[in-house]
Order: sequence, then C-alpha cells, then structure tokens
Amino acid sequence: MTLFDLALKNIRRNMKSYSLYIGSTIFSIIIYFTFVTLKYSEDISSLAETSKQISSIMSASAFVLMIFVAIFIAYSNSFFMKKRKKEVALYSLLGVRKRSIGFMLFFENMVIGLLSLVVGVGLGFLLSRALLTILMKLMGLDIVIGFAFSIDAVINTLIVFFIIFLFTSMQGYRVIYQFKLIDLFHAEKKGEELPKARMISAILGVVTLATAYWLALQDLTTSPIWRMLSLAMPIVIIALTVIGSALIFNSVLVYMLSIMKNNKRWAWKGLNLMTSSQLLYRIRGNAKTLTIIATLSATTITAGGAVFGLYYNADKNVQTYTPYTFMWEGAPQEIDPHLIEHAETVHSKTLRIEQGAYEMEYAVIKQSTFEKLAKNLDWSDIQVAKDEEVLMIDAFYNEQWSQKVDSVMIDGTEYKVAKLYDKAVFNTFTIGASAIVVTDKLYSEITADEKTYQAVQVKDYKNQLALSEELAAKTENFSSATEDYRASIEASGALLFVGSFLGLVFLVATGSIIFFKMMTDAEEDKGKYAVLYKIGVSKREMKRTIRSQVGMIFAAPLGLGLLHGAVALTAFSNLLMMNLLVPVLIWMLAYTLIYTIYYFITVRSFNKTVH
Amino acid sequence: MEPLLVVRNAEKIYGNSANTFKALENISFEIDHGEFVGVMGPSGAGKSTLLNVLATIDSPTNGDILIGNDNIAKMKEEALADFRRDHLGFIFQDYNLLDSLTVRENILLPLAIAKKPAAEIKERVDTIARTFGISNLLDKYPYQISGGQKQRTAASRALVSNPKLIFADEPTGALDSKSATDLLESLSKLNVEHETTIMMVTHDAYAASFCRRILFIKDGQLSKEKFRGTKTRKEFFQMILDELAQIGGDVHDVI
Ligand SMILES: Nc1ncnc2c1ncn2[C@@H]1O[C@H](COP(=O)(O)OP(=O)(O)O)[C@@H](O)[C@H]1O
Ligand SMILES: [Mg+2]
Repeated sequence: MTLFDLALKNIRRNMKSYSLYIGSTIFSIIIYFTFVTLKYSEDISSLAETSKQISSIMSASAFVLMIFVAIFIAYSNSFFMKKRKKEVALYSLLGVRKRSIGFMLFFENMVIGLLSLVVGVGLGFLLSRALLTILMKLMGLDIVIGFAFSIDAVINTLIVFFIIFLFTSMQGYRVIYQFKLIDLFHAEKKGEELPKARMISAILGVVTLATAYWLALQDLTTSPIWRMLSLAMPIVIIALTVIGSALIFNSVLVYMLSIMKNNKRWAWKGLNLMTSSQLLYRIRGNAKTLTIIATLSATTITAGGAVFGLYYNADKNVQTYTPYTFMWEGAPQEIDPHLIEHAETVHSKTLRIEQGAYEMEYAVIKQSTFEKLAKNLDWSDIQVAKDEEVLMIDAFYNEQWSQKVDSVMIDGTEYKVAKLYDKAVFNTFTIGASAIVVTDKLYSEITADEKTYQAVQVKDYKNQLALSEELAAKTENFSSATEDYRASIEASGALLFVGSFLGLVFLVATGSIIFFKMMTDAEEDKGKYAVLYKIGVSKREMKRTIRSQVGMIFAAPLGLGLLHGAVALTAFSNLLMMNLLVPVLIWMLAYTLIYTIYYFITVRSFNKTVH
Repeated sequence: MEPLLVVRNAEKIYGNSANTFKALENISFEIDHGEFVGVMGPSGAGKSTLLNVLATIDSPTNGDILIGNDNIAKMKEEALADFRRDHLGFIFQDYNLLDSLTVRENILLPLAIAKKPAAEIKERVDTIARTFGISNLLDKYPYQISGGQKQRTAASRALVSNPKLIFADEPTGALDSKSATDLLESLSKLNVEHETTIMMVTHDAYAASFCRRILFIKDGQLSKEKFRGTKTRKEFFQMILDELAQIGGDVHDVI
C-alpha cells in the first residue's frame, strides 16, 4: 500500500467534505457556462444588433460573474483546505517532504477541477435549457431561446475555470509552505490578540461610505464630478463603497462591541462575555469575508430590486395608458364569458375645441358612461358634472409641461372644467388621451358623429395573448394591455433576464459563503463549547450564544448590504425617473426573508457541529 | 559507544524583539542508545518546548542537537522531513490519528510513506499490533475505539518503522490509570527487549517511574537528574515523589 493509495482512501472516506467542495465548483461551472452560452446564443446576438447596450450589459455581467465564481471557488477551496490541515500536518510529521505534499494537493485539486469542469459543462449543457426555460416562465417571457451547443461558450468556460483552478491549486502550495509543523501542536495556544478599535479608521470608514453615497446620488446631468470622471464614476463609487465597508467592519463594529464588552453589568451576565469576545475576534478576522458578503448582498439587492422595479413598473405603465384589457371600435365580439370581468359599450363624439392658438381634439363621453368606466377601474374620486360644468381627462397631463385648461367652449357656450383627471379612463390608443365628460343632457345636444367602442376587462390579462391576437384580427382601432405588456417586457427583456439571473445566482452563493464561513468557525469553536459544557453551561445557553454569534455575522453584512442597495436603487430610480419605492421594499423584504432562512439553517448546522 | 542524542547549549526564545521569553536556556545532556529517559517538571517549565525542539517539530534559537552524526539544529526542511521519516517516532497526548483511516491504515502510514513492500508492511503491522494488544481492533476506525486503544494505536504507528528514537509528550495525559499502565508497560517492554530509545515528557510521577532515568527541568533549565539503577519501580516512584516534594514542585499536580 502506498501513500497514494492511502490518500485515495482518505478521499473516499472524506467524501462529505470533498463533495461539498466538488459540488460548489460544479455549481459555479454550470452557472457560468449557462450564462456564457446565453451570451453566445444567436437570439441574443441578433437582439444585440438592435441594441449595443444589451451586448455590453451581457459582457459586463459575464465579467462580474467570472469574478464572482473565482471568489466563490477560492472560498470553498480554502474551507476545504482547512478541513485537511490535520491530515497534511500528520504527513509532514511522519516525514513526507513539503514538496511532495504540495504536489499531492496541487495534483488532487487539478484533478478535481478538471473532473468538475467536464461534469459541469456536461450538466450545464443539459441543465441550461431547463434553467433558462424556468427563468423565462418565472418572468412571463415567451421568447424561445434557440439554444445550440456553443463551442465558443465551452472554450470560454474552459479557459476561465482552468485559470481559476490553477490559481486555487497554487494556493494549496502556498498554504503548505507557510505552514509550520509546530502550529499543529500550538494551534489552541496561539494567542489571539484582542483587536483594538481604531478611532481614525472608524471615522475614515464612515467618511468613505458617505462620499460614495453622495457621489452615487448626484444628478447625472448636472454634476460636475460626473462630467469629470464620466465612465470611471461607477468604478470609483463601487471601490469607495467596498473600502468603506471593510473599514466599517474593521473598526466601527469592533468599537461598538468593545463598549458592550466593557459594560460590566451587561457583559458579566451569563455568556455575554463569551459571545462578545468571540464576535470581536471573529469580526476582525472576518472583515474580508464580511465585506465580500456585504458587497454580494448589495449587488443582489440592487440587481434584484432594479429588475423587480422595472417589472413592477411595466405592469403599472401599461395600466396607466391601457386600463382596459381590450378596446376596439365597433360591435361587441364573442369572448368566453367566464373570462370577462367587465364589458362596456362606450359611445363617444369627437369635438374640436379652440384653446389659445391651437385647436384640440377631444373625445366627448356622457357622465353616465364615465361613471361606469371609472367604477370598473375602482376610481375613488368620481365626480359628477353639474350643468354648466364638464370634467376633463388628460392621461398625458404633466404639471410642468401641460397648460391647465379652466374652461371649454362647446357650441358657443362656455363650460367650467370642474375637475381634471390626469389618468386614463379608457385605452388612450383607441379613443385618445384627452376626453371631456359632459352631462347626459349636453351629450345628446352635441351635434357630431358618434362612434361606438367596446371596452373589456379580462381576468389574468397578462396571459391572454391568443385572445388578443384573435380580436386584433377582427376589429379596428384595437388596443390591448396584454400586447402592450408583452412588448414592454420584451423591450427590457435582456436586462430583466440578466438581472434576475445574476440576482438568483448571487443569492444562492451569498448564503453558501456565509454557510462555509460559519462551519469553519464551528469547527474551530468545537473545543471552546466542549469546555463550556464541561463547566456546566446548559445547552440552551450555548445555543443562545451560537444564535447571537451567527446572527451577528449574518446581520452586519445584511444591514450594510441593504443600505448600499437602497442608495444604488435610489440612484437608479432617479436615473430612470421612476418611483421604485414599493417594488424595492418588497424585494428587500423578500431578500431578508430568504437570508433569514439561511440563518436558521446555518444555526442548526452550527449547533450540530458543536454538540 | 557514542551517545545517540547530544544536546549542547540549546536555547529557545519565543516572541518578537520587543517582547521575548526564554523558554529554554543553556540545556545540555546526552541520551545513549537503548535508554528510556523521562523529562519532568512543573507546568510551563519548558518540557514540551524541549521535546518539540529535539523532535524537529520546532527549531532551537541557539545550540546544537546531534542525533548520530546529523546536527538537526542546522538541517534544512527537506532533510528534516527525510530524517523524521527514517529515524523518529512520535506519540502525543491527543493521539493525532486520521479519523478516515482504519487502525491498521493509521499504523502503516509511516511504512507507506517509506515505500516499503506490501508483504513487509503487513508483517510489521501485525507484529507491533500484537505487542500493544490491539490485533483485534485493526479494522476498526478511531471513533470506534477507546482513548487507551487510540493511544496504543498511536504508539504502534510511532514504533512500526523501528525508529532510532521515540518522542512521547504526556502520552498518558488523557488516559485512565489502567490504560496508562498498559501503555507504559508496553513501552517499557519494547525498551528492554528491543533496545528502543525513548524520551518521554510527563508531569506524572507514576508514568515517570517506568523510565530508567529522569531529567528534571525548571524555568527552562535542567535542574537535576535521577537514575533508577537497580531500584524496583516502586522504590523509584517513591524517590521521584520525594524529589518533587523537595523541589517544591506541584505535588498536587502529580496524582
Ligand atoms: N508559541 C509560544 N509563544 C510564546 N510562549 C510560548 C509558546 N509556547 C510556549 N510558550 C511558553 O513557554 C513556556 C514553556 O512552555 P511548555 O514547553 O509548553 O511547558 P510545559 O513544560 O508545560 O510543557 C511556557 O511559559 C509557555 O507559556
Ligand atoms: Mg506540555
């Protein structure tokens, strides 16, 4: 039996930690391969021709994804190596040369890497289609992505991951050469130095972050700084944010914890002292990890929030100008009555009214028709036009640009405009954006051609494409919310897709990184908890410490990530001039929820490892 | 005959330039082939430091350590690895077994590293397992056996390659008295029958009484030396206790 045989046996029996490592590398490869395949796919390329933006978004995202998988693999690798420290130390003690151990680890890691690469690309090829289909379905996109096996994608993936594996394998070598035999025996004695809170770096951290936020919130069009730095600006902001986060974790948190620890009334109660010391050591040692997690969280929140915001707004935009699912000019059509929520017949006359230098065309409807239409849309501010009064509807009304009309002349009589609605009561495409509501009596007196329209509200309007097409073929002046929605989703399709894809990947990965981190800590803390148990600390109390310890590692980067995300999304919504508050809040809540689930899983595994 | 191990003016200083601590100071002694030497002293005296330095796990700050003709204090990393493989064996308080390998595989690890033929490996493992009374445990995993059995496995692993010198740091520290006695008797027997040279660190007078000679160490310096000579183990034990009482060492630490 040779050392090689024993090492193989060791691999087989340590399958659990190996499979965790192999699993995360395969996961990374599948994700990356899927994305790159998409990037090289013909449909996206043809889309890209219409929009240079999309192709640059795809390239930038591929780059972000690459950085990310590199970090992720490096992370799982170091977690994996830590678990094998004992084995390596023993080999060294028994007289295996460092060079041989280093070679063994290098070789092993390259073999694992190349095997995962083959499996990952294979699975990626099989899974990417399903993955994309699911994602498309989730987003309600009906684009069929032609998904041919792309040699370019394979080559790209092979090169990127070969480099990543080469790098992590070298890392193994480095670990071996830094490692001193005596460390194995002194591991627990190695004096961990309690970090001191440095006021300067705390202040510096806050200032750096504040600067980054301030820059991010500048008005793009007027800010001289943006003009000066232009395209470098986002990079500057991101760099400042990352540096600021690192400083915050390094100092501000340490500072707060020191204060807590020095508060004897609090600290000398139960395990509080242990919890806070533990956290103090952890935070300084983990500033890097916490920064990575905060950055990933911020990215996820921003990407997800932006996508969800656009998505949410697509719905609202459609509803703004196309409140009824279908409208057309002419007679009613046959529609499955189970689908119909509301169906109205609308009569309207067209009037040209002089307004200063212009002559404006208005659709005129009766008060009773207006009330029916508005009630269907759940309007709460339905007003009744009295005699000598009219109501005005202008869906495109804008306080800054539009001229406010106080009265209109109809057939020589002046009518006061009692109320102006700046929203559409029917589909603007079919009837027009501007309308006047008059009393039923006045309506009958107006001499103009009358046209008949149909307005139909249908259940689940986003998914009535077949019906919409059928009606479109049969009617005139047809407008369809279904069609508008599809078009608007398709227009931002690539952006939405990339955003949700990255959001999903980062979400999974962020959780995994914290999980790895905490499991490493649990492994190291095993001894401490065993001691606590022996001196009579109850399991319940230990669980409480574990909860706060894990909780801090989760909460600190989440809090900062949410803050980063909030600023980034504010900047984003300013840029697009959209109100994203509601969707962003929903998304942040959802993210926090998923994150909390990770937290509970991690606490459970932590408890399991320690006991 | 030439001594197996010669230590000359060994010194170990911990810490950086600002904050130093002398853990070993001016240590010189020799160990002959076939000796069973104990190192005793209060906690923090530098026993483990001394053993680690001799065992090439740590390097001395100053001084020479000669094993045979090799000065291990001056050897390079690679040569040290080879040296450990060919000449040294280790037993520690916390066993250091690999959980993923069976008892047999743990024991044969040094032979596998030395690339011995399979037939020879089997033969040697069986022999050493018999000596330590763990023949029936060979196919179990470390988590399936008791602490004493784990330590005997570790001892078997240390001895299976017939090293020139065995280093043991508190090998009975974590064992109950029955297991401790079994292990010490086995070591003693190997020492007598096979002339295996053993150096054992302990703060336990009972464990120390199995040795042929005891070096006492205090504050990083050698303070005394006691020989068993022709005394029985019991008499030697009493002598060690008296000695500890005289040094004012931590007698309460002993039992
Ligand atoms: N890595 C280290 N750094 C600094 N001081 C150390 C280190 N290792 C041991 N010491 C100190 O050296 C002295 C001797 O330690 P050690 O040899 O472990 O004592 P023992 O005799 O109990 O085995 C102790 O005072 C210990 O605090
Ligand atoms: Mg010691």
